[in-house]
Amino acid sequence: MRLHPLTSLAAAGSTAVITTAAACFPLSVAVGAGAVGLSFVAGVAHRMLPAAAAVLVPLGLSLLVLHGLFFPEGGTVLAQWGPARVTSEGLQFAVERVAQLSAAVLALMLFSFSVSVPDLVAALSSRGVTGRFGFVLASTLTLVPAISVRVQRIRQAQESRGLLIRRGWAHRVIAFRLQAVPLVLSLVDEAGTRAQALEARGFSSRGPRTSYREVPDPPFQRGVRLVLLLAAVAAIAARLGFPTAGA
Amino acid sequence: MSSPSLTLPPQSPAAARNRRLLEILGALAIAGTYIYLVLNQPADITGGPGSAAALIALSGFLVGAVLLIVAVLPTLPVSTLVLIPVALVLNIVLGQFVGSTLVPFYLDAIGTVLIAVLAGPAAGAATGALSSIVWSFFNPTVLPFAAGAALIGCLAGLAARHGVFRRFYLVPVAGFLTGIIGGVVSAPVAAFVFGGTSGLATGAIVSAFRSMGDSLLAAITKQALISDPMDKAIVFTLVALLVYALPRRTRLQFPFVRRHRVLAGLDVQPGLDVQPGPDMEAGRPTGQDS
Repeated sequence: MRLHPLTSLAAAGSTAVITTAAACFPLSVAVGAGAVGLSFVAGVAHRMLPAAAAVLVPLGLSLLVLHGLFFPEGGTVLAQWGPARVTSEGLQFAVERVAQLSAAVLALMLFSFSVSVPDLVAALSSRGVTGRFGFVLASTLTLVPAISVRVQRIRQAQESRGLLIRRGWAHRVIAFRLQAVPLVLSLVDEAGTRAQALEARGFSSRGPRTSYREVPDPPFQRGVRLVLLLAAVAAIAARLGFPTAGA
Repeated sequence: MSSPSLTLPPQSPAAARNRRLLEILGALAIAGTYIYLVLNQPADITGGPGSAAALIALSGFLVGAVLLIVAVLPTLPVSTLVLIPVALVLNIVLGQFVGSTLVPFYLDAIGTVLIAVLAGPAAGAATGALSSIVWSFFNPTVLPFAAGAALIGCLAGLAARHGVFRRFYLVPVAGFLTGIIGGVVSAPVAAFVFGGTSGLATGAIVSAFRSMGDSLLAAITKQALISDPMDKAIVFTLVALLVYALPRRTRLQFPFVRRHRVLAGLDVQPGLDVQPGPDMEAGRPTGQDS
């Protein structure tokens, strides 16, 4: 069965919310492992895992160093070097927080790496979300790879004209200007052309639209979405009602 | 910001009132969340995993940002709307390559500030919030900072409207002040949602304050007050360099720039919407904002 984009969005979002609300270490680890496992099933692991590592490794190291070494509230000192004290409370706080964040990040990335963006945009606009949001989303996701290539080309062109990045602030500012101005100029210019093209095709006119892309939405999945949203709301309400439960 | 459309029916007063209401609700949600978090922080963060505060920070700031987007997005002219993806790409790509060629700063708001200067505070706020939402497709950790990004875009647009970018020496000062406000608003997100900062360098500064016995929120707020004003001062200055390096024709393309005389050297009468400069292509429509 193919998942409707909004169903997978609801699943990822409510998983992230429930894991955060539960603040339970075994659940966080299980959700993280589940997301990694599903990424292999969906065949997106080779793209998703490096991207997730780029986000989570610096964050995790930063939290471990911060709370592992400096946690003034901690009482059980395991080791001490000068002002730095390794406390078991600090380490526990860091590990719990890293697990919780990793679970939420992996669940959301599993959604964003496995969803078909055209399907998501079509599904959103058929739900009455303004087409403008869909345009910004789809246009950005397609622009990013194209622009990375263009940045390299501009750099090569300027280097062939003698651009050499030397040490020192002044040189670097000049190098930045030489590369950024052509990039921004070309992007702003293209955006102007795109605006005229969109305007000519009635982009900002209101009224009913016909979509060429139909995304099937079986009633079962609508029910699942409702249950997921209610579960997320219930988790938030339970956590706010009992702020220290499970702590 | 936009001249009225010649072909489409004008916006009804009721719709405009609803949008204004949404804008106010969005701003209230963000301000209320911030005040609640700051007032209630000490017991929560050390008493446990702090997830109630994380949920309040996440939902309050996200709801505020989404309300702002819903209020502002339909009112933006298409010429501004097409710039938002460009701004986001600039935030990502330019931020990365500045990081590799210029200075060890995390300059992730260049696109947002650029749009705010060219198209105004509303466009800046929408760009900031949308940037965080779309960027979260690659990096979900930026999602909770949507409200802070919207605030920076809005403040940059207000600075531009009041002529800060006409006097170059004021630009870094405005960036510095924006950074102070943005940093203070973003600090509770870093403290309660992440329990720290995402970078190792900023984490080291937080560690230094923690070693002096500060609470987590105090340490992160102090770190933000060190990093963010410098960062935003540099971003504002770079954007001013970029905007003045753009050809006059491109700069005059934007109604906000013309109407509020945002930039020096544009001898356009305030209130005149279409005033092509001598180097403009004949016959090219300058007011693409209709």
